[in-house]
Amino acid sequence: MKVALKRIAPSLSTYAAVYLVFLYLPVLLLPLFSFNDGTIVAFPLSGFTFKWYLALSGEEALLRALLNSLFVGIASATLATSLGLLAARAFARYRFPLRHASEGLVMLPLVVPGIIVASSMLVLFLFIGLKPSLAAIILGHAFLTVPFAVSIMKSAFDEFDPSIEEAALDLGESVAGTFRRVTLPVVAPGILSSMLVCFTVSFDEFVLAFFLSGNEPTLPVYIWSQIRFPAKLPNTLALGSCLLAFSILLLVLAEIFRRRSTKRGTGK
Amino acid sequence: MTSHPIVELRGVEKRYGNLAAVSNLNLALSAGEFFSLLGPSGCGKTTALRIIAGFQEPTSGQVLIDGNDMADMPANRRPTNMVFQSYAIFPHLDVGKNVGFGLSNSGLSKAERDMRVAEALEMVELGDLEDRKSDALSGGQRQRVALARALVMRPKVLLLDEPLSALDKNLRETMQLELRRLQQSVGITFVMVTHDQYEAMTISDRIGVMFEGRLKQVDAPATLYAQPASREIAAFIGGMNFLAADVLSSGEKGLGVNIRGFGKFHIARNPKVSKHGERIEVGIRPEQIGISTAEEKSDMGIEAVVRDIAFYGESIHYHVIATAADAPLSVAVPNHFHSRDFARGDKVSLDIKSTSIIDLGTME
Repeated sequence: MKVALKRIAPSLSTYAAVYLVFLYLPVLLLPLFSFNDGTIVAFPLSGFTFKWYLALSGEEALLRALLNSLFVGIASATLATSLGLLAARAFARYRFPLRHASEGLVMLPLVVPGIIVASSMLVLFLFIGLKPSLAAIILGHAFLTVPFAVSIMKSAFDEFDPSIEEAALDLGESVAGTFRRVTLPVVAPGILSSMLVCFTVSFDEFVLAFFLSGNEPTLPVYIWSQIRFPAKLPNTLALGSCLLAFSILLLVLAEIFRRRSTKRGTGK
Repeated sequence: MTSHPIVELRGVEKRYGNLAAVSNLNLALSAGEFFSLLGPSGCGKTTALRIIAGFQEPTSGQVLIDGNDMADMPANRRPTNMVFQSYAIFPHLDVGKNVGFGLSNSGLSKAERDMRVAEALEMVELGDLEDRKSDALSGGQRQRVALARALVMRPKVLLLDEPLSALDKNLRETMQLELRRLQQSVGITFVMVTHDQYEAMTISDRIGVMFEGRLKQVDAPATLYAQPASREIAAFIGGMNFLAADVLSSGEKGLGVNIRGFGKFHIARNPKVSKHGERIEVGIRPEQIGISTAEEKSDMGIEAVVRDIAFYGESIHYHVIATAADAPLSVAVPNHFHSRDFARGDKVSLDIKSTSIIDLGTME
């Protein structure tokens, strides 16, 4: 076994390296050109500058879009995580008819093409009288991020010793009190992790936001509108680099909290 | 002791579809008693305990605690507390907050609660660990925290679900004695579930033996050991040699029996056993059989050959074949260092006294 591994390893690692370069090179070009002192995005680089980053602070429409995105992200993450928490607890604790079917159904948004979801949501929302707005995007993003919330919360509950909840009941606590004093604090790292992931997904989401935003764009929608103006391109690259760094930070934090939550649930 | 039982189960039954986890369970426990439910895994003992605690509802039957019907009483309002098998220590709280968890809804002042927590921790000898994080506790310490957390509530009944099974052997033996001492000092009724017969016998005032959802015998450990109500109980508790015997005479107190290949004996009638046909089964505990060299054989001695030897440290078990009966027997002798040992193939003489033969009733 060991011998076989040694023989295969060099070609496999070359493959992996090529694969990673192919995946991430375009992404790395983003920060590279955001520091380039020139409006044309092409080699050779013409000098190092921070001016595109400095220019970002002056763009009022951009700041507004940023605030919209933060608001939508926080609201939809809260909504999705609340739903995910309850669903995950039900999946982990109870046996009920169609449990497996409903677990699958909850994961469906992951595989349905975004454009289909977006257009059908637009139709649905117009039908029930909900105009394209931030509220519409919040609902759409909550739908989209529930699968992430459910799977993160499920891993938090998988490691959760059910007798901890029974112990709280046994010590005279009410059902609601047990949820508040034991269940929530024990899965708190999972909740935080789910919030961060859902927020990041919502923050980066374009298709749904594009369909459902009225005159209040989210950041990705705003960036798309700016890309048509070549002079604004370096600005957009700087903004994109900031978002990239921010997203990576959030996902790393989310993973740290998720691991902490699995470690802590056992109570043994 | 109060006149009525502190815990009473009347015809308690728990069914899952066609499967009966517990059937027709009748039991009365007196106040201040240490009671153990003993049985192999899956015999329904944990279900019975959870029914008393209120975590599971009986399909039929009644649970009374201190004379009150618990039918509509949820777990969080019952005067019982439980020590869980996994201990179920709250991972986000330190030792003091774990122990004080149940007192926060009690209406006691902060000072009183702190005093009760300190007292409970003192009781389990964890006085100096009040601020310890729960993930920094050893197995034995977790067990003590779980005990303190339940005892601080001053329940009428303390329920323990395999409380020592997660501990290693030495710690388990220490905790057995300590659990017993603790129970006697607080005077609370303890109901413990265990699959370990030695643990049950060491700690309990009385033991209830369960098989396949049914309570088969309830007795003090010594009675259970000396007068098991059936072959399966005799086999489950301690070692036992089983032999078939023909009943020659049957009196009020005793039975005259012929154990083939061993001779005639007059044995005591086992009051726990109901039926006596012409043929009964008798049991002899391995440590009740005397063993000596064949040369020392008395008139009553039974000839046998040593087939296997198992060394247990404090005792030695000889597996022998009784020559006349061609029956395998197990004989246990204490390890008196320097005493004469037997080797495989040795001819020996067995000494069986009438008083050590246990009547197990009609052969099934």
